[in-house]
Amino acid sequence: MITKNAPRFTLADWLPKLVMAPTVVVTLVCMYGYMIWTGVLSLTNSRMLPSYDFVGLSQYERLFNNDRWLVALANLGLFGGLFIGICLCLGVILAIFLDQKIRNEGAIRTIYLYPMAISFIVTGTAWKWLLNPTNGLEKMMIDLGFEQFTFDWLVNPDKVVYCLVIAAVWQASGFIMALFLAGLRGVDGDLIKAAQLDGAGTFTTYRRIVLPSLKPVFFSALVILAHIAIKSFDLVAALTNGGPGYSSDLPANFMYAHTFTRSQIGLGSASAIVMLGCVLAILIPYLYSELRGQRHD
Amino acid sequence: MASLVIDNVKKRYGNTSVLKGIDIAIEAGEFLILVGPSGCGKSTLMNAIAGLEDVTEGRILIDDQDVTFSSPKDRDIAMVFQSYALYPNMTVAENIAFGLEMRKVPKTEREQEVQRVAELLQISHLLNRKPSQLSGGQRQRVAMGRALARRPQLYLFDEPLSNLDAKLRVEMRTEIKKLHQKLKTTIVYVTHDQIEAMTLADRIAVMKDGEVQQLGTPQEIYDNPANLFVAGFMGSPAMNFIPAKVIESGNTIMLELTTNTIETPTTINTIETPTRLPFPNAESLQSHIGKEVLLGLRPEMITEPQPHKAGLEFTVNSHVNVDVVEPMGADTMMITRIGNNEVNCRCHPSYNMVVGATCEVMFDTSKAVAFDIESGQRLD
Repeated sequence: MITKNAPRFTLADWLPKLVMAPTVVVTLVCMYGYMIWTGVLSLTNSRMLPSYDFVGLSQYERLFNNDRWLVALANLGLFGGLFIGICLCLGVILAIFLDQKIRNEGAIRTIYLYPMAISFIVTGTAWKWLLNPTNGLEKMMIDLGFEQFTFDWLVNPDKVVYCLVIAAVWQASGFIMALFLAGLRGVDGDLIKAAQLDGAGTFTTYRRIVLPSLKPVFFSALVILAHIAIKSFDLVAALTNGGPGYSSDLPANFMYAHTFTRSQIGLGSASAIVMLGCVLAILIPYLYSELRGQRHD
Repeated sequence: MASLVIDNVKKRYGNTSVLKGIDIAIEAGEFLILVGPSGCGKSTLMNAIAGLEDVTEGRILIDDQDVTFSSPKDRDIAMVFQSYALYPNMTVAENIAFGLEMRKVPKTEREQEVQRVAELLQISHLLNRKPSQLSGGQRQRVAMGRALARRPQLYLFDEPLSNLDAKLRVEMRTEIKKLHQKLKTTIVYVTHDQIEAMTLADRIAVMKDGEVQQLGTPQEIYDNPANLFVAGFMGSPAMNFIPAKVIESGNTIMLELTTNTIETPTTINTIETPTRLPFPNAESLQSHIGKEVLLGLRPEMITEPQPHKAGLEFTVNSHVNVDVVEPMGADTMMITRIGNNEVNCRCHPSYNMVVGATCEVMFDTSKAVAFDIESGQRLD
C-alpha cells in the first residue's frame, strides 16, 4: 500500500520561523537599519531634524575640533583604562582568594556578584550620595573627628573621572571575579600538584601555570569590560551628569547631548559612528581569534 | 636514589579512615607497585609520600630523612600523573625544564638536561611543540621526561598508563621497565592493573580498604597469596576457588572436592567417586579435618592430562563437565563448575573439548593453597 505524502506545511514546521521572525525583523531594522541611518546622517548637516544635505566628512572635522568631545575621549581613555585594569586585577585576586576552599563561599560569591544585578543608574545614585562632600564619606570622617579630612573628588574637575572609576569597578569587578572563578575551577588540580612538586611556590604557580591557562577568560573579560566602558552613559548621567561643567563627559553622553538636546544630529551621529568604530576595533580581533580558535581545537 | 620508609602511616578524613596504618620499607633502586581496587587508598598513600596531603599519624622517611612534615618541593620527588598534568601554555622543552628553572639551575645546564632527557625518551623532535599538539603516547613520554630531568631521589607514578590504548600501554610498560633497569631509580608506582604490577615490580604491595594485604615480590604474591583477596586480585584469569572438604585418608590429609554428578546422554547419572586431591603442607590443615575449606588453584594447574607429569605426587586426573570453551591462541580456557564455583582450566589448544560433554583434566596441586571459608585467611 502506498500512502501519498504530499508536502504539507503544518504549524509545527512554521512555528520556529514564526517565533524567530519578529526578533530578526527588529534586529535588522532597529540595530543594523539605524546603524546605517546614523552613518548616513553623520555625513549630512542635520541639525534638529534629519536632513539629507550631504557635507562629506565635515561633521567629523567639527567633532575632532570640539573641545568637549576631546575631553570626553580623554575621559574615556582614562576611565576605560583604569576601569578595565582595576576590574581585572581585583577580579583575579578575589577569584584566587575565593578558590582556596573557604567556608560560605556561595554566600560570599553572591555578595560580590550582586552589584552586577542592579542598574548603573542605581549604582550612580548610591555613589553620588557616598561621595558627596557635604553628606557622604567626607562628612562621616569629619564627624568622626578627622577635621582636616577632605574628599571632594566628585566636585573636583580634575578628579571626577576617578569617581566614575570607583563606582564602575564596584559594580563590575564581582562579575569578573565570577568569570575567573569559573576558569580557575576548570584548571586541572594535577597541574597545581605538578607545579608544587617541581618546586614552584604559590605565587609562581599562579603566575606561570594557572593564569596563563586562563588566557581565554582574560580575553572575554577584556572585551566585556571594554564595551561596558565605551557605552557607559547611565553611570555618568546618574553620578555626575557630566559635571562639573563637562569635565566628566564620556562619548555616549556627548552623543546624547548633541543629538537629542542640542539639535546637532549630524555631529551626534558622527560621534556615535566613532564609538561604533571603537567597539568594532575591539570586537573584530576577538571574534577573529575565537573563530580561529574553534578551528584549531 | 634513596630508600623509602613508610612507618605506620594513618590518614583520616573526619571519621572515615582512609589509611589504617601502612608499613612499607623499600631499598634504594627498588620498584614498588601499590596495587588495589579503586578506593583502597593507594592514591592517598602516594599523595602522602609526595607531601600533597598531610598524614594524620606516622612517619615517612626518604633516604633516612624524616620528611613527614616537609613541603613537596623539599622532598626531592618527581611525579608522573595519570592526566600527565603538562603545563598547557609551555612547550615540551619548557615543561621539562620548569622544575630545573624553579631550582635555579643555570640556563645552559637546563638546556643540556632537556637534550639528555629528550634523547633518552626519543622526543627530541617534539621539543618546540605545545602539549595540545601531542598524541597520548607522546604526552606520556613528556610527562616522564619532566620527572627524569630533575634526577630526583624518588619517582612517583600515579596510574601513568591508564589513559593509553591497550597496545600503547604494553609498549610503554616495557619502556618503563627498560628505563628502570637502565637508571636504577627508586620508583613507587600506583596502578589498579595487576598485569602492570606483576610485570614491572620488584615488590608489590596489594592494598584493600586502607590496609596493605600483602607486601612481596611478584612471584611470592602470585604463588603464596596471604589471603583470599590477594589470591583473587592477582592473576588473569583469577585463581580458582574450589570448595573442598578436608578428610583424613589413611595417614595423609587430603581435600575432597564436592561430588560432581556428570550427566551425558550415554551414561545416565554416573556418580563418580569424589575426587580427592593431595595437598602440600597438609599437616597445616589438621585442625580443619571434617570442615570445608576453599582450595585455591591457578588455572594453569588444571590442564589436560600431561604424560610427563602423570604419576607425580601431587597430580590427580578427574572428569569434569565442559561448560564453556574460550580459545585464546596460545591456550584454550575451559570453564567448568565444581560445587557452586566456576573453575577455569588452561588447556592446550589441540586438546579435544566438546561443550556439554565431559573431559579428563589433570589437577596439579603442588602449588595449591587453602583458605578459611569464613575469614578468607590462608590456612597453610
